[in-house]
Amino acid sequence: MTGGLNWLMNLKNDLSDTELLRSMLAGDEEALTILYRRRQAGIYRFAMQMSGSKPIAEDVTQEVFLFLMREGHVFDPARGSVSAFLFGVARNLVLRRLRVEQLLAPLGDDSDEDGPMLQAAGDLCPLEDLTRAETIESVRKAVLSLPAKYREVVVLCELQDVSYGETAEILGCAIGTVRSRLHRARALLLAKLRPAGEFEEAGSATVKSARCFA
Amino acid sequence: MNCQKFETIVSDLARGQMMAAEQRGEALAHSDACEDCAMRLHDEEMLTRGLQSLGAKMDSLEAPAAVEANLLMAFRARRAVVPAPVRRPSHSVYWLAAVAAMLLIAISVFVFRRNARPADDPRQAAKQEEPQSKPKVVDQSTPQFAKDLTVPDDNELVPQRPKPRRIHPASQRRPANPQLANHVTNEIATDFIPLSYLSTAGLQDGGQIVRVQLPRSALANFGLPVNMDRYNEKVKADVLFGVDGTARAIRFVQ
Repeated sequence: MTGGLNWLMNLKNDLSDTELLRSMLAGDEEALTILYRRRQAGIYRFAMQMSGSKPIAEDVTQEVFLFLMREGHVFDPARGSVSAFLFGVARNLVLRRLRVEQLLAPLGDDSDEDGPMLQAAGDLCPLEDLTRAETIESVRKAVLSLPAKYREVVVLCELQDVSYGETAEILGCAIGTVRSRLHRARALLLAKLRPAGEFEEAGSATVKSARCFA
Repeated sequence: MNCQKFETIVSDLARGQMMAAEQRGEALAHSDACEDCAMRLHDEEMLTRGLQSLGAKMDSLEAPAAVEANLLMAFRARRAVVPAPVRRPSHSVYWLAAVAAMLLIAISVFVFRRNARPADDPRQAAKQEEPQSKPKVVDQSTPQFAKDLTVPDDNELVPQRPKPRRIHPASQRRPANPQLANHVTNEIATDFIPLSYLSTAGLQDGGQIVRVQLPRSALANFGLPVNMDRYNEKVKADVLFGVDGTARAIRFVQ
């Protein structure tokens, strides 16, 4: 009996997200379980990376799947994948939550917007050893300090490894917009992660680059 | 390749995005030749590495098990509370229901009329042919009305309806003739007073009613009050004769 159930579960594991969603809407609890276990981590991480708050990430993850239970029938496979649909819902929920809790302002206040995010131990530039734990934390804070429209492309494209095309579906914009926002976001991150001295040097480097164009 | 073009692709170059091999080679050659672009590429690569490290560090994060438990609870509650979506009947169903209702009404009317009509079977016909006692009113005091009320021969004594007609007081009868109606509705009659030992039920056996005029003193014989001022006047009365011709009851009419 148990073997039969496992076999059935394995069979359902092979189903696509769309098929699982359809089964879930028809009342199949196993389909919900499989779909949730397949997609919850990405949604949770996205919410966590966007908000920097564990409670918000938990709430958003739960709300996303509750929304899927209630309004899952609005999903249109022709417009994108279930994953993109879930990320889109999560994005709206996170932004709404952040607006309500005004978490964006305190994050900006905590750090010096124009200066480096975090000085690494000693005089070591964060960019020199970004794989170290302290510097990873500085990168995390730098990402959190980005404006929402730049933060979401960094989270999706850099941290979640979502393609440009799918990111465009999630954000509801053109791929070119995603690329330009990502480029701008990376520039902002570099500016935040550079030490003050090097920031000025980077400014002069920009001037040098301008000279180089000539 | 110049620095401006290098700047447009440096992110993709650092992120290892797919690009034409020729373009990649030109960009790398430019970074070797240009110190600033080499530093720019270096920074981008470090940033990419840092973001990848951050992503890898958070890769193990998952929603707590409580979230899944809450969701499953909500799903079960929703499945228990929300009924299955009700299918709205199409217009054809409404039409079918309407037609069925009309058929039902038509059948009901047909059956009702058939039951109300006199039966065509021989037994009922034989019953109708049986002579039934139907009281007839003959007003001798008013011959012009008696003509309307009295049936001239025996054939007309045969009742037209299967059920025997009950004898009603003159005030309650509904004559077909409007003049008679005025005449009858203006009259006030007493109940039939048995003239013999017949019970009241015996009066229902049928017979013939004859309108007569009697001296007002006759009222006293039946225990009714007599107006002494009109003692000499006559009073109208209906006498009920049985089928055997004997007077069975009388009522006084005013």
